[in-house]
Amino acid sequence: MESLVGRRLVGLGIAVAVSILAPDLAMGQGRPTASAPASTKSTYVPPRTPDGQPDISGMYEPGWIGQPAEVPHGEPWRPKPGGPSIGPTDFGARAAAEGDTTRAQITPSRAPMVIDPPDGKVPMQPWAAAMRKEIYEKQDQAKFLDGRVRCLQAGVPRANMPVYYNSYQILQRPGYVIILYEWNHMTRIIPLDGRPHLDPRIRLPMGDSRGRWEGNTLVVEVTNFNDDTWVLGHGAIGDGQPSSSATSGHGVVHSPDLKVTERYIPMDANLIRYEATIEDPKAFTRLFTVAYDAMVRGRSDHQLFEYACHEGNRDGILMATGVDIDPSQK
Amino acid sequence: MRPPCRVLAAGFTAIVLAGLGPAVSRLSAQVPAAQSRPGAYTGPRTADGKPDLNGIWQVLSSAHWDLEPHSPEEGVPGGQGVVEGGSIPYQPWALDKKKENYAQRATADPLSKCYLPGVPRVTYVPLPFEIVQTPKYVAISYEIAHARRIIYTDGSPHVEALEFWMGDSRGKWEGDTLVVSTNNLTDKTWFDKVGNFHSTALHVVERYTPMGANHISYEATIDDPKVFTRPWKINLIIYRRLEPGLQLLDYDCVSFFWKRTLADK
Repeated sequence: MESLVGRRLVGLGIAVAVSILAPDLAMGQGRPTASAPASTKSTYVPPRTPDGQPDISGMYEPGWIGQPAEVPHGEPWRPKPGGPSIGPTDFGARAAAEGDTTRAQITPSRAPMVIDPPDGKVPMQPWAAAMRKEIYEKQDQAKFLDGRVRCLQAGVPRANMPVYYNSYQILQRPGYVIILYEWNHMTRIIPLDGRPHLDPRIRLPMGDSRGRWEGNTLVVEVTNFNDDTWVLGHGAIGDGQPSSSATSGHGVVHSPDLKVTERYIPMDANLIRYEATIEDPKAFTRLFTVAYDAMVRGRSDHQLFEYACHEGNRDGILMATGVDIDPSQK
Repeated sequence: MRPPCRVLAAGFTAIVLAGLGPAVSRLSAQVPAAQSRPGAYTGPRTADGKPDLNGIWQVLSSAHWDLEPHSPEEGVPGGQGVVEGGSIPYQPWALDKKKENYAQRATADPLSKCYLPGVPRVTYVPLPFEIVQTPKYVAISYEIAHARRIIYTDGSPHVEALEFWMGDSRGKWEGDTLVVSTNNLTDKTWFDKVGNFHSTALHVVERYTPMGANHISYEATIDDPKVFTRPWKINLIIYRRLEPGLQLLDYDCVSFFWKRTLADK
């Protein structure tokens, strides 16, 4: 399925087709998320699975792709002096998503996903902010490239950020919730039986998930990360963009001490709101929380397609590193 | 510049060997195809009455190195073969191609590039996988390359004319046997490390027949009229991993590739 993979894949070094967010980030518009405390209230009572779990199984599409992840620490980025500023960039997919009538149920929001701290900024420790700056400035070096274009797993909560190259299938069986991601065929098998986390010597890009139901909200605690992933990131770095203007979560690094507490909150039969509280004292000066409408129920005949990313990345790897992993493709 | 493939191949071999006991070659003898007789299965069942295949499983076999009978070599456990009748019925040109693959296997094995293993190879790479069984879907998550298959058991038809590394899988229950048809496969995967191969015409029919709570008889019929003179079968046993608290630990080959590659930079 070359063409489909090719369409879904975004190779290395592709010029970023940016959509213009005009006027500047209109804070506070859309869904009233600002200052909402953790644990959005929902009165919706989902049906039950045979073993009594709230039933959230099914096919889901990503929520609003154009929503900014954060408020920039500095000035908005204006590629041309005096010109319009740029919001979160997603290879032009936002425009396509806005024209997709099957996604009409998704509520547009321009509020930042970071709801705490109230200023909407990711509270990075100085070294983490410096590393983010270096990432933005050294996009010509392979080791600073987004893990996404290297076909690496996204980590958490990044895997749940609305992007056009992802959709989800949630399965439930007694004692487990399973989230299948189309993006890079990531899978999370979440046990609900209260078992302890893995030994701390075991470190994984997607961490180690332990879930429980609090009423109708699925709460998942994720630990045992390595430091290979970014916490957030749902767009791309613009050519020449300073990190102080970032609104997409790109380059928000973390330490292996990262602990994420996720809440999957069914708001109605078709919408799962998502909150994640991020704790990592080495990387952040305080806890912070992102919240947004993450998953919108898709058509019942929706299917996750294979996202064979690395398998189609020979040319990108060659360009970025000079290493040809598959000379037979010459 | 040093190609990464050799490094990856070596790393992968080390990993899989480390996970195997010395008894591996004894477990690869051919096993008869289990029949799904009514009432033969007495293990646990799901709420909808099907044999409960949920959990973590693994094949113990040298099939991953070579489907056919082969002697032990350094780094390769010997094996009595898993092909019914002993040999893969290649067309003459295809046997030549297989020999070519064999000569180049150290770098040409798609797994040495961290590519998805394909079907049925993903079943018998020597790493565990987890089955998630619901009435409409049987999802299998494999530790290797966090590969995944979603097997639709809802009566839906195959997709048409696409190519996937892991194929398009549709399943149905015949009695207590889960029968899975997989097509839409690329020609870029191999069946094992010695270069046994196929074309995009490959059609695989797998039969998962539970022998009890902890063993599944696995039969795969491999049909590819462009490469073979007739359909042929492999037979394996899939063992339930019973260690308490066991869970899959994604073997993210691609991330190891990048670490090695960037370490040279």
